[in-house]
Amino acid sequence: MHVKPLLNFLGILVLVLGLSMAMPLAVSLYYGEGDAGAFLISSAAALIPGLALFLLTRRHGRPALGHRDGVAIVTFGWITAGLVGTLPYLISGSIPGLTNAYFESISGFTTTGASILSEIEGLPKGILLWRSLTQWFGGMGIIVLSVAILPFLGIGGMQLYKAEVPSPVVDKLKPRISDTAKTLWKVYVLITFLEILLLLAGGMSLFESACHAFATLPTGGFSPKNASIAHYDSAYFDGVVLVFMLLAGINFSLHYRMIKGDPVSWFVDPEFRVFMGLFAFFTLTVTLDVYGSIYESVIEAFRFASFQVGSILTTTGFATADFDTWPAYSRLVLLLSMFLGGMAGSTGGGMKIMRVLLLVKHAYREVFRFIHPRAVTQVKLGRKTVPDEVLSSIWGFFLLFTGLFIVASFAMAALGLDLITAFSSVAASIGNIGPGLAGVGPVRNYYDIPMAGKWILMFCMLLGRLEIYTVIVLMIPEYWKK
Amino acid sequence: MKIIIVGAGEVGFHIAQRLSGENQDVVLIDKDPDKVNFINEELDVQAIVGSGTSPGMLRNSGIAEADMLIAATDSDEVNLIACVLARQLSSYTIKVARLRNPEYLEMKDLLGQEALGIDHIINPESVMVDTIQSLMSVPGASDVIDFVEGRVKLIGLAIHEGSPLAGRKLMTLGNDAGRLLVGAIVRGDQVVIPSGADTIQADDLIYVVSRSDDLHNILHSLGIRDEPLRRVIIVGGGQTGRGLARALDGRKISTKLIDRDPQRCADLAQSLGKVLVINGDGTDRDLLVEESIENVDFLVAITGDEESNVLISLLARGLGARKTITRVNKLSYIPLVSSIGLQSIVSSRLSAIRAILQHIRRGKIISVAPLKGEHAEAIEAEALSTSDIVNVPLSKIKFPKGTLVGAIVRGDEIIIPRGDSIIYDKDRLIIFVLRKAIPKLEKLLTVKLDYF
Repeated sequence: MHVKPLLNFLGILVLVLGLSMAMPLAVSLYYGEGDAGAFLISSAAALIPGLALFLLTRRHGRPALGHRDGVAIVTFGWITAGLVGTLPYLISGSIPGLTNAYFESISGFTTTGASILSEIEGLPKGILLWRSLTQWFGGMGIIVLSVAILPFLGIGGMQLYKAEVPSPVVDKLKPRISDTAKTLWKVYVLITFLEILLLLAGGMSLFESACHAFATLPTGGFSPKNASIAHYDSAYFDGVVLVFMLLAGINFSLHYRMIKGDPVSWFVDPEFRVFMGLFAFFTLTVTLDVYGSIYESVIEAFRFASFQVGSILTTTGFATADFDTWPAYSRLVLLLSMFLGGMAGSTGGGMKIMRVLLLVKHAYREVFRFIHPRAVTQVKLGRKTVPDEVLSSIWGFFLLFTGLFIVASFAMAALGLDLITAFSSVAASIGNIGPGLAGVGPVRNYYDIPMAGKWILMFCMLLGRLEIYTVIVLMIPEYWKK
Repeated sequence: MKIIIVGAGEVGFHIAQRLSGENQDVVLIDKDPDKVNFINEELDVQAIVGSGTSPGMLRNSGIAEADMLIAATDSDEVNLIACVLARQLSSYTIKVARLRNPEYLEMKDLLGQEALGIDHIINPESVMVDTIQSLMSVPGASDVIDFVEGRVKLIGLAIHEGSPLAGRKLMTLGNDAGRLLVGAIVRGDQVVIPSGADTIQADDLIYVVSRSDDLHNILHSLGIRDEPLRRVIIVGGGQTGRGLARALDGRKISTKLIDRDPQRCADLAQSLGKVLVINGDGTDRDLLVEESIENVDFLVAITGDEESNVLISLLARGLGARKTITRVNKLSYIPLVSSIGLQSIVSSRLSAIRAILQHIRRGKIISVAPLKGEHAEAIEAEALSTSDIVNVPLSKIKFPKGTLVGAIVRGDEIIIPRGDSIIYDKDRLIIFVLRKAIPKLEKLLTVKLDYF
């Protein structure tokens, strides 16, 4: 591993984040709620060491970055970003204590959306915007952003991109990786603007529209309102946010192809069909489950069921209802959805539909072989054959994902949490959802989790966002051997 | 620039690597999914599994916006079809085909713009034959590159311990034999574009620009033996061996060609005139001694197997051959091979890259030669009246760091430039440039935009 390029990159990252504080700074100056000073200091506290780190390590001869460097830069990059993100919280005094501030920050960047705050609306607007912004940066990826704006990374960029992008296979949209990253960011910004416009059209204030859009597109789930989207109690807002959550759960390469004038690209994609099929099936059955038991009318039942299924399946975590009070079947569907997540190449978390789909297909192939032992069979996605290395990598991912989920759940239970809180908090963290069930349900928050538990969950969030391998490989002694 | 390359073999891979390193948009098409995966991991290019002869594939790869299509598979026919399809799909794209069959090469009109629409034909093997011939034209040099129709030569000289040049500062060079300009110094795997204050050290490889006519005198004054060529042994009768033997056939040079394959030897014997074809193993010491290796001026080891080539060259050296030329394909081997004393190396990859690069460079670039170690190039370019470099003294031109004008050629005159030299319209320039400075140099050489 090359230390100098690593530090150099971290320097750049800290610089970029320091600069990005200009936006909440402007907002806090506009509203004059007294947090402008905190942003000025935070920005300086990021820019100065960032610049120093960058300049001191500038001459590293730019060795070609390998796989090893890629995973280290990405993992340490995210840990550092989390630290920079705590600055405004700590300096403004909005969130006391490093553990809580880091929890809020890493939950933001990993687009989890789990919060330790109970009184959100009392916070200054600058801080609220910063919460949403951390999610927005984390969604499409802070490293992908760096690759997009720093074209000189070249082939090293590929290693970084691969380590961060949530997909078992890398889809190069453009010949050069920096152009691919740029294209994805453009699509991301475009859809974000669209959501802001539609929310404004429904009468939401510009500030709240922006905060919600910044939290929807990355499937984050931070809201500037205590009651999340339920605050507005408006079917229009529910509808708009639901549509954009689903858009965020779709592979952004497909959006790009759509915009480029290939209107059927969504519908021919097998993963998209499964994603939409699951969404429709879950919505239907949950609607039937909550109709009568919770809601009087079918329309109401459908409205809240579809929103909640969409929110959890895409791993966003916005709430319009306290689904913790829903019947067992509905809660089980939502818990299961936490593991499924969005499509590969989307901003959603979880295991990703593509992996689950391929696992099912692979298992089917094994059964098929019992019937035709000599058949030549291949696992296909659409018309493309999936190579066996990809399949075994997915099995490994599945094993690690569930294994780490079990270990972390045990740890949480050992800390004294009740059964459902223990495993739903881990599921909601490793899947980057946010709200879980029982003690961490949609109307509760993570404030009461013991300190050790918070650190375990933060680690789970990072594992989930960087798709396990990138983080876990750094913990293998073999990695550090020269 | 967007460039589509068909075929991810040696040549395709290296061109893609080179171009992506220069921040060009490269799309590579190959049938082999393993190769495509490997390239996607290794290079910043978009590699796609597919056939270059499929019109749908070419369209998907974005041929409509491509500036150039390079068909570089091993099959001439595939390359031809890819270019023909590309012409139908996008007539503005420059089409370059790699062709190996000598018959195609001899009848370039059949394939040219009118008939099939192929803009450039490249043939690494024939470029390699040319390179070997220029190396033979200056036996004292370890690298020879011709510029301006052969009137200017760029020669690479290996500086040995005890050479009169070792330890001298560049500004103290220049003597009665004419001024000597060192354009680049290759030291280990580094390339230095020198200034007057740099010193030549033992074990350097220096690149010197000279008029072809003065060359003999210059080499003589440096104490380098430069005798005419009499006897050559070629080991390896493949494409390159055959081409080289044919080129030497009929000149007053005694040429022997050794190959292991009896069938191939029979073919060669039939098609070649005076060249003596020997069926045998080039690594066989007795055979070499029998063919009086000790009197040979050049042993050219160009079999398909690079390890054998290295061994044959070392063996020939030991047995008293005056010079050896070794074919090494893996670029990463070149520094290793140089370090064991084999200085004259040819490579089909370098040749292919060289042939293709000159079509890619912008501005009026006439030819491009990569220097050893791949970090620098020598470029021959025509000065355009609309560019920033004409009619001002050289010292006033803001050349990017890492470039050096090695010679100005005006009509018959060849000027080794000083700070007060002035470039005029239509002068030919020979410029040494480090790879990282190439984009800036290109900008300088190209036409300024006129304001309407």
